[in-house]
Amino acid sequence: ALPFLQATGTDQVVGLGLVAVSLIIFTYYTAWVILLPFIDSEHVIHKFFLPRAYAVAIPLAAGLLLLLCVGLFITYIMLKKQRVTKKAQ
Amino acid sequence: MTKLAQWLWALALLGSAWAALTMGALGLELPSPCREILWPLPAYLLVSAGCYALGTVGYRVATFHDCEDAARELQSQIQEARADLTRRGLRF
Repeated sequence: ALPFLQATGTDQVVGLGLVAVSLIIFTYYTAWVILLPFIDSEHVIHKFFLPRAYAVAIPLAAGLLLLLCVGLFITYIMLKKQRVTKKAQ
Repeated sequence: MTKLAQWLWALALLGSAWAALTMGALGLELPSPCREILWPLPAYLLVSAGCYALGTVGYRVATFHDCEDAARELQSQIQEARADLTRRGLRF
């Protein structure tokens, strides 16, 4: 067998896509939270970033949305199970 | 102490340190950029941890190698098992 087999095509694309997305998010967020306070408020770079309050509001909203989706999924599964057991009785 | 207790203890410690610094309870006059970085710090650490997790998963998915030998061995074992079970009377 060959010593270095490639992962199949789709796997590589998806994997590298995830790596790229995570790097982009990390770089933008780091610049936003860590670097921007040290840059003069008159500099043009501030136009590329939202007001600072969004740096906490957006991840918070995303986290709550995630929790909501997880909760809805669990509720859906539980209701489906209840309907199945009720039909069997 | 259990691992959970250790983690909660560490979180409580760091959390109270952050809260004390952000609300100025220690009476320290930190320079303005430091204060600006300090208050979103928990959110920043969470987002960074999430990015690291996502990136690691993506990287491992992209570099996962096929195991030709193991696949072939598994297939032959499946054939063996099917033959054995049909001989014993199990119908697929």
